[in-house]
Amino acid sequence: MEDRIKRIYVPMTESGFYILYCLQSPQHGYGISQQVKRMSGGSVVISAGTMYGTLSKMEKDGLIRFYSEEEKRKLYQITDLGREILDTEIRRIERLYKNSKGEDVDA
Amino acid sequence: MRKTMTRVFTIADYEDEEIWLREQHQNGWKLVNMTIPCFYTFESCEPEDVIYRLDFRNMERSEEYMQMLKDFGWEYFDQCMGWLYFRKPAAAVESEDEGELFSDNESRVNLVSHVMKTRLLPIAIIFLCCVIPNFVKFVSGAYVGYAGMFLGILFAVLFVIYVVLLVHCGTKLRRIRNKYRMGTGA
Repeated sequence: MEDRIKRIYVPMTESGFYILYCLQSPQHGYGISQQVKRMSGGSVVISAGTMYGTLSKMEKDGLIRFYSEEEKRKLYQITDLGREILDTEIRRIERLYKNSKGEDVDA
Repeated sequence: MRKTMTRVFTIADYEDEEIWLREQHQNGWKLVNMTIPCFYTFESCEPEDVIYRLDFRNMERSEEYMQMLKDFGWEYFDQCMGWLYFRKPAAAVESEDEGELFSDNESRVNLVSHVMKTRLLPIAIIFLCCVIPNFVKFVSGAYVGYAGMFLGILFAVLFVIYVVLLVHCGTKLRRIRNKYRMGTGA
């Protein structure tokens, strides 16, 4: 079951990666989009429908979980499975980065 | 001042509908509501560039979803046959994606698939199980008398409407889906 989910999420879409990354601390959808816009210097913008759809799907697949509710806004937080997938993805991106600079990675 | 316009948009024409509504608003006509099947009521307003977007949610519409759209600056003003209507002034949009409901191709493809599954498929099933058998009965002369004639013609007309609708929606939805699928690189 978990292997199947890992296969779906790795490699991750750009929006998926940013959303999961931001949910290392509890956030709601709009908060995530603001944070992503800020940290990417405005080059990554996640729109409302994509945000809602990705959060619903990640919650269903157990990557994130409901944290609390503030005035009709749901806050989510990453789960252990989500963190595992995020770490796998970060290692993959680091490898890509190193290789793109012409560096080899250790086995 | 108000005006009502008649215009037919099928389930496959939502992108054209968005453009049309935006043009209306640029000309000083703001959409107030829709009446099934194809009547649009507008109210005169100051001409403004306002982006219109439609999302197909069928009957599912959570408070969380509506709040999130509001947070992102979308004004919800009406719904019609499972489609929710949103708008946002173009001046409030800093980048192209802020003027979209969906910023990646995966979610755009999901919308098309959702429409196909919950709208196009039922139409196809009604066509196969109801319209075709009755049309065949009509052609083979099973309907007799004035009432039979009337029913027969009714099904013949329905047959034509269904064929046109299915071909138009089927090909157009697939074209939209392919356009976004190619963009995903998958």
